[in-house]
Amino acid sequence: MKVLHFIAKGAVLLILSWQAIAETVVIVHPSNSAQIDAKQVQRIFLGKEKKFSDGAESIPVNQIADSSVRSDFDTTVLGRSSSQVSAYWSKLVFTGKGVPPKEVTNDAEVLALVAKNPSAIGYVDAASVDSSVKVVPLD
Amino acid sequence: MKKIIAMSAVALAVSSGVQADVRINGFANLVGGITSSDDSLYGYDDNVSFSPESLFAIQVSGDINERMTATGQLVARGEDDYDVAFEWAYLTFQATDDTSISAGRLRMPLFRYSASLDVGYSYHWVVAPQSVYNVPFNNIDGVRVDFNGYSDDLEYTFQLTGGKVENDFTLAGQSARLQINNVIVGTAEFTYLNWKFRGVAARGDVTFDIPALEPAFAQLGQIDSGLQSLLEANDDSGLFYGASIEYDAFDWFVAAEFTGAEIEDSFYPDETNFYVTAGLRSGKWTPFITYEKSDLNDGPKFVDRIAGFPAPLQVPLTQLVIGIQQPAISENDTTSVGVRYDYDTNVALKVDVSKYSDDLDESQDATLVRFAVNYVF
Repeated sequence: MKVLHFIAKGAVLLILSWQAIAETVVIVHPSNSAQIDAKQVQRIFLGKEKKFSDGAESIPVNQIADSSVRSDFDTTVLGRSSSQVSAYWSKLVFTGKGVPPKEVTNDAEVLALVAKNPSAIGYVDAASVDSSVKVVPLD
Repeated sequence: MKKIIAMSAVALAVSSGVQADVRINGFANLVGGITSSDDSLYGYDDNVSFSPESLFAIQVSGDINERMTATGQLVARGEDDYDVAFEWAYLTFQATDDTSISAGRLRMPLFRYSASLDVGYSYHWVVAPQSVYNVPFNNIDGVRVDFNGYSDDLEYTFQLTGGKVENDFTLAGQSARLQINNVIVGTAEFTYLNWKFRGVAARGDVTFDIPALEPAFAQLGQIDSGLQSLLEANDDSGLFYGASIEYDAFDWFVAAEFTGAEIEDSFYPDETNFYVTAGLRSGKWTPFITYEKSDLNDGPKFVDRIAGFPAPLQVPLTQLVIGIQQPAISENDTTSVGVRYDYDTNVALKVDVSKYSDDLDESQDATLVRFAVNYVF
């Protein structure tokens, strides 16, 4: 019984520490040299801004709603739950004022798109990042 | 297969930089309701009904070129027996990064939630508060200019809309027709951190065509044509104004909206309406409470004019002048409590209970329970 309890505790610790390690980072094409801060990432992903600070076009790449990296991005960078983000977009879509970012299913797809398009901006788990993209330090 | 198509569509869109695709979106509100026994409210009675406020809609939009978009919205409303109608059909021209011009049939931006009024998913209520939102004119044939901007934490939107409104509506159970020409609507909206402020002012030349009132107007005209044209709404200038304020801390929010309207030279009473609403967001649950009031009971107009007429005419004139104004007069308030549950990122379930109290006729008091499924895709 005690052993079980110990295992359970260990599992909880493991989950907690895994969550602490899992970190979402924003990525752009290596050639993108625009100044990008958290506020701009927020504006780009909420459709309020269509250009980077240097005037070049910005194309946000989103992840699908039920991915954990998406919900982390929504909460930490956009500051709202995925449902609220979805309600926000439903307002814009059905008033003809905006088109939500395209969604892909995993980090690898985000990396592939961002690596080949200088306009793209996406986010992935820090552990997935490779040299084909540039990580944007937020603040 | 679906995934592959989706992937290549994204690759295409991202690589070309121009999204030449046609977008199809839709939304649905399935709303059911039942009142306390022998009561009726918002089209519901004491049998469960789905038709008064349910609707299904499809929106199609396509980019004509890099700066022009065409948008059409087809809506089937339960109250119209689910007959499909093109409620919106307009072209948008993105003149600059922050200015766009739309022309065609579009939503008139009278209220805080005008634009997404039909999209139940976009707000916490089962249906937006009727005291404020129940107007017989939501769409306009005309032109709208939108201007957006921001500096630091302040975001602002200005809209100027002009055009013409035509619609059928119901007054005191009788069908009638409304026409408003030379409509001009100006709105300003500011978002600063958690705060949102909005103001609106509008004017138009209003004509009411109400068959039920025709005989009374004819009688009035036989006595005095001046009074008849004073009471009739026939190309008479009308004013609309409103303001709203909202504080959204994400874990909780509180908002209020106030509107007023007057058509001075007409039988139509000056009206003021408002609501105050608040809610908590706790995970997938959003419990909320709303208090709303509608006041079209400002005392009969033009009664002072009757004193100038010969004594024998004063009684019939008083009856006519007050009688014509009577159908539009009302005063009521409603308190609702309810909860929204985010079942999925595109599906919300809601339920609310509303207690309606009629300040002029207690027998109209009613309690209404509604439940809703809101879906967007």
